[in-house]
Amino acid sequence: MANFNIDATAERTFQAIVIGSGISGSWAAKELCEHGVKTLVLERGRDVKHLHDYPTTNMLPYEFTHRGQLTKEVEAENPVVSKCYAFREDAMHFFVKDKEHPYVQEKPFDWIRGYQVGGKSLLWARQVQRWSDFDFEGPARDGFAVDWPIRYKDIAPWYSHVEKFAGVSGNKDGLAHLPDGEFLPGFELNIVEKYFQAQLKKHYGDSRHMILARCAHITGNLDYYKQQGRVQCQSRNLCQRGCPFGGYFSANASTLPWAEKTGNLTMRTNAVVHSIIYDESKGKAVGVRIVDANTHQTEEYFADVIFVNAAALNTNLILLNSTSNRFPNGLGNDSGLLGKYVAFHNYRAGISAEYEGLSDYTTTGGRPTSGYFPRFRNLHKQETDFLRGYAAGFSAGRYNYADQSGIGLALKEELLNPSKYSNWSVGSHMMGETIPKETNFVALSKDEKDAWGIPLLRVNVDYDDNDEKMVKDYQQQMTEMFEKAGFTNIRVRDDHRAPGLDIHEMGGVRMGKDPKTSLLNKDHQLHSCTNVYVTDGACMTSTSTQNPSLTYMAFAARAAHHAMKNQKWGKV
Amino acid sequence: MQRREALKSLAILTGGAVLIPSCNFEKEDILAAYSNLQITSTQQTLLSAVANSIIPPGNLKGAGDIAVQDFILVMVNDCLDKERQALFTQGLQEFDAYSKKVGGSKFLKLEATEKEKVISAGLAIAPGTADEIQKSVREFLSITKRFTIQGFMMSEYIMKDIKPYSLIPGSYKGEVLLSSISNPKING
Repeated sequence: MANFNIDATAERTFQAIVIGSGISGSWAAKELCEHGVKTLVLERGRDVKHLHDYPTTNMLPYEFTHRGQLTKEVEAENPVVSKCYAFREDAMHFFVKDKEHPYVQEKPFDWIRGYQVGGKSLLWARQVQRWSDFDFEGPARDGFAVDWPIRYKDIAPWYSHVEKFAGVSGNKDGLAHLPDGEFLPGFELNIVEKYFQAQLKKHYGDSRHMILARCAHITGNLDYYKQQGRVQCQSRNLCQRGCPFGGYFSANASTLPWAEKTGNLTMRTNAVVHSIIYDESKGKAVGVRIVDANTHQTEEYFADVIFVNAAALNTNLILLNSTSNRFPNGLGNDSGLLGKYVAFHNYRAGISAEYEGLSDYTTTGGRPTSGYFPRFRNLHKQETDFLRGYAAGFSAGRYNYADQSGIGLALKEELLNPSKYSNWSVGSHMMGETIPKETNFVALSKDEKDAWGIPLLRVNVDYDDNDEKMVKDYQQQMTEMFEKAGFTNIRVRDDHRAPGLDIHEMGGVRMGKDPKTSLLNKDHQLHSCTNVYVTDGACMTSTSTQNPSLTYMAFAARAAHHAMKNQKWGKV
Repeated sequence: MQRREALKSLAILTGGAVLIPSCNFEKEDILAAYSNLQITSTQQTLLSAVANSIIPPGNLKGAGDIAVQDFILVMVNDCLDKERQALFTQGLQEFDAYSKKVGGSKFLKLEATEKEKVISAGLAIAPGTADEIQKSVREFLSITKRFTIQGFMMSEYIMKDIKPYSLIPGSYKGEVLLSSISNPKING
């Protein structure tokens, strides 16, 4: 710190600092910059510039040495991240490798991370379903966790705000428990998916629905998205490589370049956040201490407001590591609950089957989404021996394939002119709500540190009896629905995956009304350090069943506007 | 690691023809590109002939013509576990003896139809056979067949020249009558 002087301090001082450039951080940055707030974004990874840093995006299948497959060496070195469906030869470079960033699995937990500008927004499954009051009122109704301090009406306008900018394709389905939003034209459900929809109507009336899943892809309003340099989704289904069309929402293609265009954004990459600096005399946070990923030099940056959007568990880690006389157990941790009540989505179960009908039909082209079952269990009242319920994916498809039994010219002809069609195969996977518990927690290792001198995160997260019951119920209910629809060869599975592989870890810094039982207030401020906001997965009081990213985006935008109003900044 | 990567790239450029001397000078040189396997260039030639019988030249090129053997070796070397690598290597070593036994001659000396018969016989060996050699021949051939098909169909030759692959598959149609689809017949 020999060169530290007033000028350097001025250069390192901003109005706002956002920790993390992923899906939620980039939304905070975009809103702040757009309204004139000088904003520093700290990103621990390298830069990934839209269009420039997608090395595999236009590669043809034969250009991959292993045609997409992982090598045994990569698998052996990466037992955790190799389990992720998107960790393949074409997108490996956007994932954290196991050895690079160790953590302590006190219980098995597959922590899937993307340390680069844009974070996991490059890799996500792009499913964006709104929450409703059936979700926000869950803990209060069913007596777990604590009551959410907000309701649907608080977040609805912000859902609209982010949906419009990000681009969301979907249908207006008119379901109270999965509210409609600002939708661009939906993709098509295929003939078997529509058949199944009709079967549900026939057998279950209005109590169960299978709809087109809303996804963050551009399918219309093209002039509007042209301003962002994004064009219509081309249905390539190569999203995990980064999209040269900007067809789906990523921070890299959308929010970050938008923020940059304002001239108010400063991006500091390779900035591993060590802690948030708390000033005892001022009684607030004043900055962020980082360690440069390459030089390992410590630096400090200062701002009036700090957004922590490091992704759920890393946000916990940063706050736990931000200790001071005032907060010896982590920033804002007067309740002692920081790191606790972590939860996730239960993705263990699935079902597959065949349908022998509609055999004259098939599909052509590509589609970046599928069908979706909003939760139907315990929706209006408690009706099972487990709490809450599950959403589920659903899709049908069939394949033209070659009979590979022979060899020689006959095989060659068959390969070049495949003669076989499979039956329709139908399948679904569960997305179960898990109940946050004090015993599911993350904490700092007392003795083990990473290469930047930051304590390793210890993860203690597990399933419980409620989850086991829910897995069984999903299998039973889906089997019943599949049987009623005349599907055959029905097979259910429970892959007993560890928590984490859902990549929907949440909580640890939950919102609530009472500082004694929560960390954040209704506006995402730490109760006891109000110039620090948390709007990523860490803030979640409960998990509900929906893919959570849309909600984080809406939270981030809403909280950014709260901060600006509070600080009397900009043209809000 | 860097040396390994460099060798791998060389292997792709040269079709694996980078040689390092083996310790035993009586033996043939081992192809260095496939560090998890002990493969000689003679065996590589034999593998090419097997692949070329599984997908032979005709109106279009065959698997051997587009060096699918190099893809097979990369995949066996990098993407199979040690047990299956060992079976593949052993089966490849035993294959000429098997060919003599079943077809009456070394594989390369057989006519095209006889070659196919030897391969078909080898693929038909019962999966549960207790005979180690039979087991390795079967495993070698089934691995080779699988990667021949993959390497041929996912080659630049097929995906660029014969059945052009598009990164943009077109918008989704969910209700297409099979009778409305007509793909021009490709004469292999």
